[in-house]
Amino acid sequence: MAFLEVYNLTKSFGGLMANDDISFTMEKGELIGLIGPNGAGKTTLFNCISGLHPVTSGRIIFDGEDITSLKAYEVARLGLARTFQVYVASGDLTVEENVMVGCFMRTRSPSQARARAYEILKDLNLHDLSDSMVSELTVAAQKRVTMATALGSDPKLLLLDEVAAGLNPNEIEEIMDTIRHVHEDLGATVMLIEHVMELVMKVSHRVIVLDSGEKIAEGDPENIANNPQVIKAYLGERYVRERGGEI
Amino acid sequence: MEAIKNALDFSDFPRLDLIVVGLIAVFLLVFPVFPHSSFAMATMIQFLMFSIYGMGWNTIGGYGGQVDLGKAQYVGIGAFTTAVMLIRWDIPFWFSMPIGIFFAVCWSFIIGYPLFRLKGHYFAIATIATSLVLKDIFEVWDLVGAARGLEISPIKYSPPDFLRLIFIEDIYYYYVILGFFFVGILYVNWFRKSRLGFQLRSIKDNEDMARSLGINVHLAKVKTYAIATAFVSVVGSFHACYIKNIEPADTMSLDISILIALMAMLGGAGSLWGPVIGAGILIPLKSYLKDWLGAQAGLVGIDLIIYAGIIMLVSAVEPRGIWGIVEKVRRRKRS
Repeated sequence: MAFLEVYNLTKSFGGLMANDDISFTMEKGELIGLIGPNGAGKTTLFNCISGLHPVTSGRIIFDGEDITSLKAYEVARLGLARTFQVYVASGDLTVEENVMVGCFMRTRSPSQARARAYEILKDLNLHDLSDSMVSELTVAAQKRVTMATALGSDPKLLLLDEVAAGLNPNEIEEIMDTIRHVHEDLGATVMLIEHVMELVMKVSHRVIVLDSGEKIAEGDPENIANNPQVIKAYLGERYVRERGGEI
Repeated sequence: MEAIKNALDFSDFPRLDLIVVGLIAVFLLVFPVFPHSSFAMATMIQFLMFSIYGMGWNTIGGYGGQVDLGKAQYVGIGAFTTAVMLIRWDIPFWFSMPIGIFFAVCWSFIIGYPLFRLKGHYFAIATIATSLVLKDIFEVWDLVGAARGLEISPIKYSPPDFLRLIFIEDIYYYYVILGFFFVGILYVNWFRKSRLGFQLRSIKDNEDMARSLGINVHLAKVKTYAIATAFVSVVGSFHACYIKNIEPADTMSLDISILIALMAMLGGAGSLWGPVIGAGILIPLKSYLKDWLGAQAGLVGIDLIIYAGIIMLVSAVEPRGIWGIVEKVRRRKRS
Protein backbone atom coordinates (compact mmCIF):
# COMPACT_ATOMS: atom_id res chain seq x y z
CA MET A 1 0.00 0.00 0.00
CA ALA A 2 1.30 3.42 -0.87
CA PHE A 3 1.88 6.17 1.68
CA LEU A 4 -0.56 8.60 0.13
CA GLU A 5 -3.23 7.43 -2.30
CA VAL A 6 -5.57 9.77 -4.10
CA TYR A 7 -8.37 8.23 -6.13
CA ASN A 8 -10.55 10.13 -8.61
CA LEU A 9 -10.43 13.28 -6.57
CA THR A 10 -12.91 15.86 -7.83
CA LYS A 11 -13.56 19.28 -6.40
CA SER A 12 -15.98 21.70 -7.95
CA PHE A 13 -16.84 25.20 -6.84
CA GLY A 14 -20.30 25.69 -8.27
CA GLY A 15 -19.81 24.98 -11.94
CA LEU A 16 -16.03 25.33 -11.89
CA MET A 17 -14.10 22.06 -11.83
CA ALA A 18 -11.02 22.96 -9.80
CA ASN A 19 -9.87 19.35 -9.57
CA ASP A 20 -11.22 16.87 -12.10
CA ASP A 21 -10.79 13.16 -11.45
CA ILE A 22 -7.21 13.29 -10.19
CA SER A 23 -5.52 10.07 -9.11
CA PHE A 24 -1.97 9.43 -7.98
CA THR A 25 -0.03 7.62 -5.32
CA MET A 26 3.02 8.54 -3.38
CA GLU A 27 5.55 6.31 -1.63
CA LYS A 28 7.12 6.97 1.73
CA GLY A 29 10.29 9.01 1.39
CA GLU A 30 9.41 10.35 -2.03
CA LEU A 31 9.69 13.96 -3.10
CA ILE A 32 7.08 14.93 -5.64
CA GLY A 33 6.80 18.22 -7.50
CA LEU A 34 3.39 19.49 -8.49
CA ILE A 35 3.45 21.96 -11.36
CA GLY A 36 1.01 23.62 -13.71
CA PRO A 37 -0.12 27.04 -14.86
CA ASN A 38 -1.92 29.45 -12.54
CA GLY A 39 -5.44 28.28 -11.85
CA ALA A 40 -4.62 24.66 -12.65
CA GLY A 41 -5.92 23.56 -9.24
CA LYS A 42 -2.65 22.85 -7.45
CA THR A 43 -3.46 24.69 -4.25
CA THR A 44 -7.02 23.34 -4.34
CA LEU A 45 -5.53 19.84 -4.46
CA PHE A 46 -3.45 20.67 -1.37
CA ASN A 47 -6.51 22.09 0.35
CA CYS A 48 -8.47 18.92 -0.39
CA ILE A 49 -5.73 16.60 0.81
CA SER A 50 -5.12 18.58 3.98
CA GLY A 51 -8.84 18.69 4.74
CA LEU A 52 -9.44 22.43 4.45
CA HIS A 53 -11.85 21.86 1.57
CA PRO A 54 -14.38 19.06 1.59
CA VAL A 55 -13.97 17.07 -1.62
CA THR A 56 -16.85 16.73 -4.08
CA SER A 57 -16.03 13.11 -4.79
CA GLY A 58 -13.11 10.71 -4.63
CA ARG A 59 -11.04 9.16 -1.89
CA ILE A 60 -7.83 10.09 -0.11
CA ILE A 61 -5.91 7.53 1.91
CA PHE A 62 -2.98 8.62 4.03
CA ASP A 63 -0.75 6.08 5.72
CA GLY A 64 -3.45 3.43 5.55
CA GLU A 65 -6.21 5.65 6.87
CA ASP A 66 -9.11 7.07 4.90
CA ILE A 67 -8.87 10.83 5.48
CA THR A 68 -11.37 11.90 2.82
CA SER A 69 -13.95 13.25 5.24
CA LEU A 70 -11.70 14.20 8.14
CA LYS A 71 -11.40 17.80 9.29
CA ALA A 72 -8.18 19.70 8.69
CA TYR A 73 -7.07 19.52 12.32
CA GLU A 74 -7.67 15.77 12.40
CA VAL A 75 -5.63 15.27 9.23
CA ALA A 76 -2.87 17.41 10.72
CA ARG A 77 -2.79 15.31 13.87
CA LEU A 78 -2.24 12.20 11.75
CA GLY A 79 1.03 13.73 10.61
CA LEU A 80 0.23 15.70 7.50
CA ALA A 81 1.53 19.25 7.63
CA ARG A 82 1.43 22.00 5.05
CA THR A 83 2.57 25.52 4.40
CA PHE A 84 0.57 28.30 2.79
CA GLN A 85 1.38 30.19 -0.35
CA VAL A 86 0.46 33.56 1.04
CA TYR A 87 1.40 34.04 4.63
CA VAL A 88 -1.02 36.41 6.31
CA ALA A 89 -0.01 37.21 9.84
CA SER A 90 -1.59 39.75 12.12
CA GLY A 91 1.89 40.14 13.53
CA ASP A 92 1.14 39.11 17.08
CA LEU A 93 3.53 36.19 17.21
CA THR A 94 7.31 36.08 17.17
CA VAL A 95 9.15 33.52 15.08
CA GLU A 96 9.76 31.29 18.07
CA GLU A 97 6.13 31.52 19.20
CA ASN A 98 4.99 30.67 15.70
CA VAL A 99 7.06 27.50 15.64
CA MET A 100 5.85 26.69 19.16
CA VAL A 101 2.26 26.62 17.91
CA GLY A 102 3.32 23.77 15.64
CA CYS A 103 5.14 22.01 18.47
CA PHE A 104 2.08 22.26 20.72
CA MET A 105 0.40 19.69 18.51
CA ARG A 106 2.61 17.03 20.06
CA THR A 107 2.94 18.30 23.62
CA ARG A 108 0.97 20.15 26.24
CA SER A 109 4.00 21.45 28.06
CA PRO A 110 5.14 24.98 27.15
CA SER A 111 8.74 24.26 28.13
CA GLN A 112 8.87 21.19 25.89
CA ALA A 113 7.31 23.13 23.02
CA ARG A 114 9.86 25.90 23.50
CA ALA A 115 12.76 23.46 23.60
CA ARG A 116 11.57 21.73 20.43
CA ALA A 117 11.04 25.06 18.67
CA TYR A 118 14.56 26.06 19.58
CA GLU A 119 15.90 22.82 18.13
CA ILE A 120 14.06 23.31 14.87
CA LEU A 121 15.04 26.96 14.52
CA LYS A 122 18.65 26.09 15.19
CA ASP A 123 18.49 23.26 12.71
CA LEU A 124 17.14 25.56 10.00
CA ASN A 125 19.57 28.34 10.92
CA LEU A 126 16.74 30.61 11.97
CA HIS A 127 17.57 30.94 15.66
CA ASP A 128 18.93 34.47 15.21
CA LEU A 129 15.43 35.55 14.25
CA SER A 130 13.68 33.88 17.21
CA ASP A 131 12.47 37.11 18.77
CA SER A 132 11.53 38.93 15.56
CA MET A 133 7.93 39.38 14.57
CA VAL A 134 7.12 37.24 11.56
CA SER A 135 5.58 40.21 9.80
CA GLU A 136 8.89 42.10 10.01
CA LEU A 137 10.88 39.46 8.14
CA THR A 138 11.84 39.25 4.48
CA VAL A 139 9.69 37.03 2.29
CA ALA A 140 12.46 34.46 2.16
CA ALA A 141 12.75 34.26 5.93
CA GLN A 142 8.95 34.12 6.30
CA LYS A 143 8.81 31.14 3.97
CA ARG A 144 11.42 29.33 6.01
CA VAL A 145 9.55 30.16 9.20
CA THR A 146 6.38 28.62 7.78
CA MET A 147 8.40 25.48 7.03
CA ALA A 148 9.81 25.50 10.56
CA THR A 149 6.29 25.87 11.96
CA ALA A 150 5.06 22.93 9.92
CA LEU A 151 8.06 20.89 11.07
CA GLY A 152 7.13 21.65 14.68
CA SER A 153 4.29 19.16 14.40
CA ASP A 154 6.73 16.36 13.41
CA PRO A 155 4.97 15.63 10.13
CA LYS A 156 5.30 12.42 8.16
CA LEU A 157 4.15 14.16 5.00
CA LEU A 158 4.86 17.79 4.26
CA LEU A 159 2.99 19.74 1.60
CA LEU A 160 4.88 22.89 0.58
CA ASP A 161 2.91 25.48 -1.34
CA GLU A 162 5.25 27.71 -3.35
CA VAL A 163 7.98 28.16 -0.81
CA ALA A 164 10.31 29.64 -3.44
CA ALA A 165 7.94 32.14 -5.01
CA GLY A 166 9.21 35.70 -4.93
CA LEU A 167 12.74 34.77 -3.87
CA ASN A 168 16.01 35.77 -5.53
CA PRO A 169 18.43 33.12 -6.85
CA ASN A 170 20.52 33.03 -3.67
CA GLU A 171 17.45 32.63 -1.54
CA ILE A 172 16.16 29.89 -3.83
CA GLU A 173 19.47 28.08 -3.38
CA GLU A 174 18.99 28.41 0.39
CA ILE A 175 15.45 27.15 0.44
CA MET A 176 16.43 24.28 -1.83
CA ASP A 177 19.01 23.24 0.75
CA THR A 178 16.38 23.50 3.46
CA ILE A 179 13.98 21.30 1.48
CA ARG A 180 16.71 18.74 0.86
CA HIS A 181 17.65 18.80 4.53
CA VAL A 182 14.05 18.27 5.62
CA HIS A 183 13.60 15.47 3.14
CA GLU A 184 16.89 13.64 3.46
CA ASP A 185 18.03 14.27 7.01
CA LEU A 186 14.70 14.60 8.77
CA GLY A 187 13.08 11.89 6.70
CA ALA A 188 9.87 13.67 5.73
CA THR A 189 7.99 12.75 2.60
CA VAL A 190 7.52 15.97 0.66
CA MET A 191 5.19 17.22 -2.01
CA LEU A 192 5.77 20.70 -3.32
CA ILE A 193 3.97 23.13 -5.55
CA GLU A 194 6.44 25.30 -7.36
CA HIS A 195 6.80 27.59 -10.32
CA VAL A 196 10.56 27.84 -10.05
CA MET A 197 11.51 25.13 -12.51
CA GLU A 198 15.18 24.77 -11.67
CA LEU A 199 14.11 23.95 -8.12
CA VAL A 200 11.38 21.46 -9.01
CA MET A 201 13.42 19.68 -11.64
CA LYS A 202 16.48 19.46 -9.40
CA VAL A 203 14.94 18.13 -6.22
CA SER A 204 11.90 16.11 -7.32
CA HIS A 205 11.92 12.38 -7.82
CA ARG A 206 8.72 12.61 -9.73
CA VAL A 207 6.64 15.45 -11.17
CA ILE A 208 2.88 15.67 -11.55
CA VAL A 209 1.45 18.23 -13.94
CA LEU A 210 -2.01 19.76 -13.62
CA ASP A 211 -3.79 21.86 -16.20
CA SER A 212 -7.34 23.22 -15.86
CA GLY A 213 -7.98 20.89 -12.97
CA GLU A 214 -6.85 17.74 -14.74
CA LYS A 215 -3.73 15.70 -14.36
CA ILE A 216 -2.10 15.85 -17.77
CA ALA A 217 1.19 14.14 -17.05
CA GLU A 218 3.23 12.34 -14.43
CA GLY A 219 6.78 11.06 -14.53
CA ASP A 220 10.39 11.73 -13.67
CA PRO A 221 11.63 15.29 -14.22
CA GLU A 222 13.48 14.47 -17.44
CA ASN A 223 10.41 12.94 -19.04
CA ILE A 224 8.17 15.77 -17.95
CA ALA A 225 10.54 18.39 -19.35
CA ASN A 226 10.31 16.71 -22.75
CA ASN A 227 6.61 15.95 -22.70
CA PRO A 228 5.04 17.95 -25.57
CA GLN A 229 1.71 18.31 -23.78
CA VAL A 230 3.40 19.79 -20.70
CA ILE A 231 5.49 22.11 -22.85
CA LYS A 232 2.40 23.35 -24.58
CA ALA A 233 0.36 23.79 -21.41
CA TYR A 234 2.93 25.14 -19.08
CA LEU A 235 6.67 25.07 -19.58
CA GLY A 236 6.60 26.99 -22.83
CA GLU A 237 8.95 26.64 -25.73
CA ARG A 238 11.47 29.09 -24.35
CA TYR A 239 12.15 26.91 -21.33
CA VAL A 240 12.93 23.98 -23.59
CA ARG A 241 15.15 26.06 -25.83
CA GLU A 242 17.08 27.40 -22.85
CA ARG A 243 17.72 23.90 -21.69
CA GLY A 244 19.12 23.22 -25.16
CA GLY A 245 16.35 20.80 -26.10
CA GLU A 246 14.59 20.27 -29.38
CA ILE A 247 11.01 21.29 -29.87
CA MET B 1 3.68 21.86 38.65
CA GLU B 2 4.88 23.51 35.47
CA ALA B 3 1.57 25.37 35.34
CA ILE B 4 2.12 26.92 38.77
CA LYS B 5 5.68 27.81 37.88
CA ASN B 6 4.50 29.48 34.69
CA ALA B 7 1.75 31.39 36.49
CA LEU B 8 4.31 32.85 38.89
CA ASP B 9 6.92 33.51 36.23
CA PHE B 10 6.93 37.08 34.93
CA SER B 11 10.55 36.97 33.80
CA ASP B 12 9.76 37.71 30.15
CA PHE B 13 8.90 41.31 31.09
CA PRO B 14 11.70 43.87 31.29
CA ARG B 15 12.86 44.84 34.73
CA LEU B 16 11.30 48.30 34.54
CA ASP B 17 7.85 46.73 34.10
CA LEU B 18 8.35 44.47 37.06
CA ILE B 19 9.33 47.39 39.27
CA VAL B 20 6.25 49.36 38.17
CA VAL B 21 4.03 46.32 38.67
CA GLY B 22 5.54 45.69 42.09
CA LEU B 23 4.94 49.30 43.15
CA ILE B 24 1.34 49.17 41.95
CA ALA B 25 0.78 45.87 43.79
CA VAL B 26 2.15 47.38 47.00
CA PHE B 27 0.00 50.48 46.51
CA LEU B 28 -3.11 48.32 46.04
CA LEU B 29 -2.30 46.37 49.20
CA VAL B 30 -1.82 49.41 51.42
CA PHE B 31 -4.29 51.82 49.81
CA PRO B 32 -7.07 51.37 52.41
CA VAL B 33 -4.65 52.10 55.25
CA PHE B 34 -4.25 55.70 54.11
CA PRO B 35 -7.02 58.20 54.64
CA HIS B 36 -9.39 58.13 51.69
CA SER B 37 -12.89 59.21 50.82
CA SER B 38 -15.62 56.60 50.43
CA PHE B 39 -15.92 57.82 46.85
CA ALA B 40 -12.28 56.95 46.19
CA MET B 41 -12.78 53.55 47.82
CA ALA B 42 -15.83 52.82 45.68
CA THR B 43 -13.88 53.84 42.58
CA MET B 44 -11.00 51.53 43.52
CA ILE B 45 -13.38 48.59 43.99
CA GLN B 46 -14.96 49.34 40.61
CA PHE B 47 -11.49 49.51 39.11
CA LEU B 48 -10.58 46.07 40.45
CA MET B 49 -13.92 44.57 39.37
CA PHE B 50 -13.63 45.90 35.86
CA SER B 51 -9.99 44.83 35.64
CA ILE B 52 -11.09 41.26 36.26
CA TYR B 53 -13.96 41.55 33.78
CA GLY B 54 -11.40 42.84 31.32
CA MET B 55 -8.96 40.00 32.03
CA GLY B 56 -11.73 37.54 31.26
CA TRP B 57 -12.71 39.38 28.10
CA ASN B 58 -9.05 39.49 27.09
CA THR B 59 -8.68 35.70 26.93
CA ILE B 60 -11.18 35.29 24.12
CA GLY B 61 -11.34 38.85 22.82
CA GLY B 62 -7.69 39.82 23.10
CA TYR B 63 -5.62 36.68 22.67
CA GLY B 64 -8.26 35.05 20.48
CA GLY B 65 -9.38 38.15 18.58
CA GLN B 66 -13.08 37.28 18.96
CA VAL B 67 -14.68 40.59 19.89
CA ASP B 68 -17.36 39.83 22.41
CA LEU B 69 -19.87 42.54 23.32
CA GLY B 70 -22.14 40.41 25.49
CA LYS B 71 -20.27 39.92 28.74
CA ALA B 72 -23.07 41.54 30.77
CA GLN B 73 -25.21 38.41 30.46
CA TYR B 74 -22.61 36.53 32.52
CA VAL B 75 -22.38 39.32 35.07
CA GLY B 76 -26.13 38.82 35.43
CA ILE B 77 -25.94 35.04 35.75
CA GLY B 78 -23.30 35.27 38.48
CA ALA B 79 -25.02 38.10 40.32
CA PHE B 80 -28.51 36.63 40.26
CA THR B 81 -27.37 33.10 41.14
CA THR B 82 -25.67 34.41 44.26
CA ALA B 83 -28.51 36.78 45.18
CA VAL B 84 -31.29 34.24 44.65
CA MET B 85 -29.47 31.53 46.58
CA LEU B 86 -28.66 33.84 49.46
CA ILE B 87 -32.11 35.40 49.75
CA ARG B 88 -34.21 32.29 49.20
CA TRP B 89 -32.12 29.54 50.73
CA ASP B 90 -29.46 31.37 52.73
CA ILE B 91 -26.68 29.75 50.73
CA PRO B 92 -23.43 31.65 51.31
CA PHE B 93 -21.34 33.35 48.66
CA TRP B 94 -18.50 30.82 48.64
CA PHE B 95 -20.99 28.10 47.62
CA SER B 96 -23.18 30.09 45.28
CA MET B 97 -20.20 31.61 43.46
CA PRO B 98 -18.99 28.25 42.02
CA ILE B 99 -22.59 27.35 41.18
CA GLY B 100 -22.87 30.68 39.39
CA ILE B 101 -19.75 29.80 37.43
CA PHE B 102 -21.31 26.46 36.56
CA PHE B 103 -24.52 28.07 35.25
CA ALA B 104 -22.59 30.74 33.39
CA VAL B 105 -20.27 28.22 31.77
CA CYS B 106 -23.22 26.02 30.75
CA TRP B 107 -24.91 29.06 29.22
CA SER B 108 -21.65 29.98 27.49
CA PHE B 109 -21.60 26.57 25.80
CA ILE B 110 -25.19 26.99 24.64
CA ILE B 111 -24.37 30.45 23.29
CA GLY B 112 -20.82 29.79 22.18
CA TYR B 113 -21.37 26.60 20.27
CA PRO B 114 -23.56 28.10 17.55
CA LEU B 115 -22.20 31.65 17.77
CA PHE B 116 -18.62 30.69 16.99
CA ARG B 117 -19.82 29.62 13.57
CA LEU B 118 -19.93 33.37 12.98
CA LYS B 119 -16.93 35.57 12.47
CA GLY B 120 -15.83 39.13 13.10
CA HIS B 121 -18.57 41.73 13.36
CA TYR B 122 -21.31 39.12 13.01
CA PHE B 123 -20.04 37.37 16.09
CA ALA B 124 -19.89 40.66 18.00
CA ILE B 125 -23.46 41.58 17.01
CA ALA B 126 -24.76 38.14 17.94
CA THR B 127 -23.21 38.37 21.41
CA ILE B 128 -24.97 41.71 21.95
CA ALA B 129 -28.26 40.13 20.94
CA THR B 130 -28.00 37.10 23.23
CA SER B 131 -27.04 39.32 26.14
CA LEU B 132 -30.02 41.60 25.61
CA VAL B 133 -32.39 38.66 25.22
CA LEU B 134 -31.20 37.14 28.49
CA LYS B 135 -31.69 40.50 30.17
CA ASP B 136 -35.27 40.62 28.86
CA ILE B 137 -35.90 37.11 30.14
CA PHE B 138 -34.62 38.05 33.59
CA GLU B 139 -36.86 41.11 33.59
CA VAL B 140 -39.98 38.95 33.43
CA TRP B 141 -38.74 36.02 35.50
CA ASP B 142 -40.20 36.03 39.00
CA LEU B 143 -37.56 33.74 40.52
CA VAL B 144 -34.91 36.40 39.95
CA GLY B 145 -37.22 39.19 41.04
CA ALA B 146 -38.30 40.21 37.53
CA ALA B 147 -37.77 43.86 36.61
CA ARG B 148 -37.58 45.01 40.22
CA GLY B 149 -34.60 42.77 40.81
CA LEU B 150 -33.42 41.55 44.17
CA GLU B 151 -32.30 43.22 47.33
CA ILE B 152 -29.99 41.72 49.89
CA SER B 153 -30.67 43.44 53.17
CA PRO B 154 -27.65 43.44 55.46
CA ILE B 155 -29.80 43.79 58.59
CA LYS B 156 -30.75 40.12 58.40
CA TYR B 157 -27.15 39.11 58.81
CA SER B 158 -24.51 40.08 61.28
CA PRO B 159 -21.80 41.84 59.33
CA PRO B 160 -18.96 41.34 58.91
CA ASP B 161 -20.14 38.00 57.56
CA PHE B 162 -17.21 36.50 55.69
CA LEU B 163 -19.12 33.42 54.56
CA ARG B 164 -21.96 35.36 52.93
CA LEU B 165 -19.76 38.30 52.03
CA ILE B 166 -21.98 40.81 53.80
CA PHE B 167 -20.06 43.79 55.10
CA ILE B 168 -20.87 47.33 56.10
CA GLU B 169 -17.41 48.76 55.53
CA ASP B 170 -16.09 48.74 51.99
CA ILE B 171 -12.59 47.83 53.10
CA TYR B 172 -13.59 44.17 53.42
CA TYR B 173 -14.98 44.13 49.92
CA TYR B 174 -11.82 45.81 48.75
CA TYR B 175 -9.55 43.05 50.01
CA VAL B 176 -11.82 40.27 48.73
CA ILE B 177 -11.86 41.67 45.21
CA LEU B 178 -8.14 42.43 45.43
CA GLY B 179 -7.57 38.74 46.17
CA PHE B 180 -9.57 37.79 43.08
CA PHE B 181 -7.62 40.39 41.12
CA PHE B 182 -4.25 38.81 41.97
CA VAL B 183 -5.57 35.32 41.22
CA GLY B 184 -6.86 36.62 37.88
CA ILE B 185 -3.47 38.09 36.96
CA LEU B 186 -1.72 34.81 37.79
CA TYR B 187 -4.28 32.84 35.81
CA VAL B 188 -3.92 34.98 32.69
CA ASN B 189 -0.15 34.87 33.10
CA TRP B 190 -0.41 31.09 32.95
CA PHE B 191 -2.98 31.15 30.16
CA ARG B 192 -0.96 33.28 27.77
CA LYS B 193 1.92 30.78 27.94
CA SER B 194 -0.24 27.64 27.85
CA ARG B 195 -1.06 25.52 24.85
CA LEU B 196 -4.57 26.92 24.71
CA GLY B 197 -3.17 30.45 24.83
CA PHE B 198 -0.88 29.75 21.90
CA GLN B 199 -3.69 28.09 19.99
CA LEU B 200 -5.87 31.16 20.47
CA ARG B 201 -3.15 33.49 19.27
CA SER B 202 -2.59 31.30 16.25
CA ILE B 203 -6.33 31.38 15.51
CA LYS B 204 -6.28 35.16 15.69
CA ASP B 205 -3.32 35.14 13.31
CA ASN B 206 -4.79 32.87 10.66
CA GLU B 207 -7.56 30.30 11.16
CA ASP B 208 -6.67 28.06 8.23
CA MET B 209 -3.10 27.96 9.37
CA ALA B 210 -4.24 27.08 12.88
CA ARG B 211 -6.38 24.26 11.51
CA SER B 212 -3.51 22.82 9.54
CA LEU B 213 -1.44 22.81 12.73
CA GLY B 214 -3.87 20.42 14.34
CA ILE B 215 -5.93 22.99 16.24
CA ASN B 216 -9.64 22.35 16.61
CA VAL B 217 -10.48 26.02 16.10
CA HIS B 218 -14.13 25.84 17.11
CA LEU B 219 -13.43 23.87 20.28
CA ALA B 220 -10.55 26.15 21.30
CA LYS B 221 -12.84 29.18 20.96
CA VAL B 222 -15.69 27.58 22.90
CA LYS B 223 -13.31 26.50 25.68
CA THR B 224 -11.75 29.93 26.00
CA TYR B 225 -15.14 31.60 25.91
CA ALA B 226 -16.06 29.46 28.93
CA ILE B 227 -12.91 30.61 30.74
CA ALA B 228 -13.74 34.24 30.01
CA THR B 229 -17.25 33.59 31.27
CA ALA B 230 -16.01 32.15 34.56
CA PHE B 231 -14.01 35.33 35.26
CA VAL B 232 -17.03 37.50 34.63
CA SER B 233 -19.40 35.33 36.62
CA VAL B 234 -17.19 35.40 39.74
CA VAL B 235 -17.17 39.17 39.74
CA GLY B 236 -20.91 39.15 39.03
CA SER B 237 -21.45 37.12 42.22
CA PHE B 238 -19.26 39.56 44.11
CA HIS B 239 -21.21 42.45 42.59
CA ALA B 240 -24.46 41.09 44.07
CA CYS B 241 -23.06 41.02 47.60
CA TYR B 242 -21.30 44.35 47.20
CA ILE B 243 -24.05 46.40 45.57
CA LYS B 244 -26.81 44.46 47.39
CA ASN B 245 -29.51 45.84 45.13
CA ILE B 246 -29.41 44.35 41.68
CA GLU B 247 -31.81 44.64 38.80
CA PRO B 248 -31.40 43.28 35.27
CA ALA B 249 -31.66 46.70 33.64
CA ASP B 250 -28.46 47.86 35.40
CA THR B 251 -26.49 44.70 36.00
CA MET B 252 -26.97 43.33 32.50
CA SER B 253 -27.04 46.51 30.49
CA LEU B 254 -25.30 46.88 27.16
CA ASP B 255 -23.18 49.66 28.69
CA ILE B 256 -21.46 47.13 30.93
CA SER B 257 -20.64 44.84 28.01
CA ILE B 258 -19.26 47.68 25.96
CA LEU B 259 -17.29 49.13 28.84
CA ILE B 260 -15.64 45.75 29.50
CA ALA B 261 -14.56 45.35 25.88
CA LEU B 262 -13.57 48.98 25.58
CA MET B 263 -11.29 48.92 28.60
CA ALA B 264 -9.43 45.89 27.41
CA MET B 265 -9.06 47.36 23.93
CA LEU B 266 -7.92 50.74 25.20
CA GLY B 267 -5.33 49.22 27.52
CA GLY B 268 -4.19 46.66 24.98
CA ALA B 269 -6.08 43.60 23.84
CA GLY B 270 -4.00 40.46 23.93
CA SER B 271 -1.59 41.66 26.58
CA LEU B 272 -1.41 40.78 30.25
CA TRP B 273 -1.53 44.33 31.58
CA GLY B 274 -3.89 45.80 28.97
CA PRO B 275 -7.19 45.32 30.81
CA VAL B 276 -5.72 46.68 34.04
CA ILE B 277 -4.36 49.76 32.28
CA GLY B 278 -7.69 50.27 30.51
CA ALA B 279 -9.68 49.94 33.72
CA GLY B 280 -7.22 52.22 35.50
CA ILE B 281 -7.98 54.97 32.99
CA LEU B 282 -11.64 54.49 32.24
CA ILE B 283 -13.09 53.70 35.66
CA PRO B 284 -11.87 56.88 37.40
CA LEU B 285 -12.83 58.82 34.27
CA LYS B 286 -16.31 57.31 34.37
CA SER B 287 -16.76 57.92 38.10
CA TYR B 288 -15.63 61.52 37.96
CA LEU B 289 -17.52 62.27 34.78
CA LYS B 290 -20.68 61.02 36.41
CA ASP B 291 -19.98 62.93 39.57
CA TRP B 292 -19.06 66.07 37.73
CA LEU B 293 -21.60 66.04 34.94
CA GLY B 294 -24.37 64.22 36.76
CA ALA B 295 -25.49 67.44 38.33
CA GLN B 296 -25.67 69.26 35.02
CA ALA B 297 -28.96 68.54 33.35
CA GLY B 298 -28.75 67.54 29.74
CA LEU B 299 -25.22 66.19 29.90
CA VAL B 300 -26.11 62.79 31.30
CA GLY B 301 -25.17 60.69 28.28
CA ILE B 302 -21.91 62.44 27.57
CA ASP B 303 -19.75 59.63 28.96
CA LEU B 304 -21.04 57.39 26.16
CA ILE B 305 -19.95 59.95 23.59
CA ILE B 306 -16.52 60.06 25.16
CA TYR B 307 -16.25 56.24 25.06
CA ALA B 308 -17.24 56.22 21.41
CA GLY B 309 -14.53 58.79 20.72
CA ILE B 310 -11.96 56.65 22.52
CA ILE B 311 -12.95 53.55 20.50
CA MET B 312 -12.46 55.44 17.26
CA LEU B 313 -9.16 56.90 18.41
CA VAL B 314 -7.77 53.55 19.52
CA SER B 315 -8.76 51.70 16.38
CA ALA B 316 -7.35 54.43 14.16
CA VAL B 317 -4.06 55.07 15.97
CA GLU B 318 -3.01 51.74 17.44
CA PRO B 319 -5.39 48.78 17.39
CA ARG B 320 -3.38 47.09 20.10
CA GLY B 321 -4.06 49.90 22.53
CA ILE B 322 -1.80 51.64 25.00
CA TRP B 323 0.28 48.54 25.60
CA GLY B 324 0.69 48.23 21.83
CA ILE B 325 2.19 51.72 21.76
CA VAL B 326 4.57 50.86 24.62
CA GLU B 327 5.75 47.73 22.80
CA LYS B 328 6.15 49.58 19.52
CA VAL B 329 8.34 52.22 21.12
CA ARG B 330 10.45 49.53 22.77
CA ARG B 331 10.92 47.64 19.53
CA ARG B 332 12.02 50.78 17.78
CA LYS B 333 14.53 51.52 20.53
CA ARG B 334 15.99 48.05 20.36
CA SER B 335 16.53 48.00 16.62
